[in-house]
Amino acid sequence: MGPEVVLSHLHRADGSATYTHNGYCVIGSVNGPIEVLRKDEQPEEATVEVNVRPAAGVGSPKERHLETLLHNTLRSIILTRSIPRTLVQITLQIRSLPEEDSVLGVNTSLTLLPHLLNTSLLALLSASIPLSTILTSVLIAIPSSKNAIPLLSPTAKDLLRAKPLRSLHVFAFSGDRKLLLNESYGSFGYEEWDDACEMAEEVCCKEGGVELSEGMEVEGQQGNLEEWLRQVVKRKVEREQRWRTAD
Amino acid sequence: MPREVEVSVNERAFIQQALQENVRLDGRAFDAFRPLELTFGDEYGVADVQLGKTRVIARISVDVTAPLPERKFDGIFQIVAEFSPMASPAFEVGRPTDAEVILSRILEKAIRRSNALDTESLCIIAGLKCFALRADVHIIDHDGGLIDASCIAVMAALQHFRRPDVVVEGEKATILSVREREPIPLSILHQPLCVTFSCYEDGERILIDANLAEEQVRQEEVIVTMNRHGEVCQVAKYGGATVEPLALLNCINMASQKVKEISKFIQTKLEEDAKKRDAGGLMAELSAENER
Repeated sequence: MGPEVVLSHLHRADGSATYTHNGYCVIGSVNGPIEVLRKDEQPEEATVEVNVRPAAGVGSPKERHLETLLHNTLRSIILTRSIPRTLVQITLQIRSLPEEDSVLGVNTSLTLLPHLLNTSLLALLSASIPLSTILTSVLIAIPSSKNAIPLLSPTAKDLLRAKPLRSLHVFAFSGDRKLLLNESYGSFGYEEWDDACEMAEEVCCKEGGVELSEGMEVEGQQGNLEEWLRQVVKRKVEREQRWRTAD
Repeated sequence: MPREVEVSVNERAFIQQALQENVRLDGRAFDAFRPLELTFGDEYGVADVQLGKTRVIARISVDVTAPLPERKFDGIFQIVAEFSPMASPAFEVGRPTDAEVILSRILEKAIRRSNALDTESLCIIAGLKCFALRADVHIIDHDGGLIDASCIAVMAALQHFRRPDVVVEGEKATILSVREREPIPLSILHQPLCVTFSCYEDGERILIDANLAEEQVRQEEVIVTMNRHGEVCQVAKYGGATVEPLALLNCINMASQKVKEISKFIQTKLEEDAKKRDAGGLMAELSAENER
């Protein structure tokens, strides 16, 4: 099942999105371009600010780390130079995590990262911030048993069942199939990583490239992420243009 | 950080004149709340309150820690309300605005200090272990009435929350997971709810549940916290104008009526949710709660 999305549902923020997938629910909002604090102002480009707020408790180093990753990735796709001396403020509120998340015993910032990336892109789209390309992100887990098939965007239950895990990988691809972000955790060889990367590219990007081999088919596999994103945007545009078609 | 957009002089005059003619901008009666919606999450202890365009999510989480040395028999209960730029770009992370400070203080007074939650029931082993309960209030969308909405959200979430059961053997306490034993509800002594009154024209006109534009025009606010038994938990007044004692009494009467309505609303929503969870009708058998 693909992720569920509600776009532009908050009335104060310039753009917002609620993204629900595999038990993770994230609310994202974007304000921008807005006035920037004097000390953060950059003469030739926009400042990007990312806030990640956990479901319970105050932000910890884990959230700060995620913020840095998101900041660097998003800054590369936002056309910051076309809106200089402004601020693009992205706030991501984690609404709920799957029950099993806390007992996974793996790096939980990696399991969360693709959801945060997808939410922030949707919120940016909803706020109509100029972007150079889109971004899709996916999580891949490699169980430690021999000849195990890599799990593609596994649910927390899948991960729990597949324990112990050898490595976790998060990939983010741009619309033109370029690798934007990779975070990996655990032990793995170059070949394994390459396989995982190929698999992620297949899910994240549309057509072209290598076909998935038989053995890599995963049960309950979601469709292509870029296609899903296109559907979401299509619905958004249709909704915004309905005044034209109605008569 | 941009400042909060203030209402213009024209808008201000318009709202005030409309109020003089006994009309509110959205056509509500002076003593009417905006449409209230309450949904619960899949997990226990998450309440999502929508009051008109205002939206607040409260989440209760629990942890085990050592109790405070001066309160050995009590658990710890903490309410954290932090604004984020999501609700309004004027809210900055790590720099509380006045509204935020007032919100935390009122919630503290209304819920924690009025002893809505029996903290003694959170004690596991006196002086050694206790539950630390934490209520996080997330402001998702801001269109006035934050205090009322947050209070409803926290109280609903507290009533919805279930804490894991514990078995104590001597000095050893074992927390039983959800799979081992059905978690038990918190012991809540009463349900305080806040009603905010906004005063205009030196207390001549009093509105319930003002939206953001009305909040910016008001002279002062009176926040009354009551429970459904008609007990006043706290009264707070912010702003310079004076309020006649009689008007204040009137406010309390109105609050009492509103609180009863909202309590009833929360109760029906809780029952609906319980029914939804109790799919096989096994809840009564699974329950580990002691009869009072």
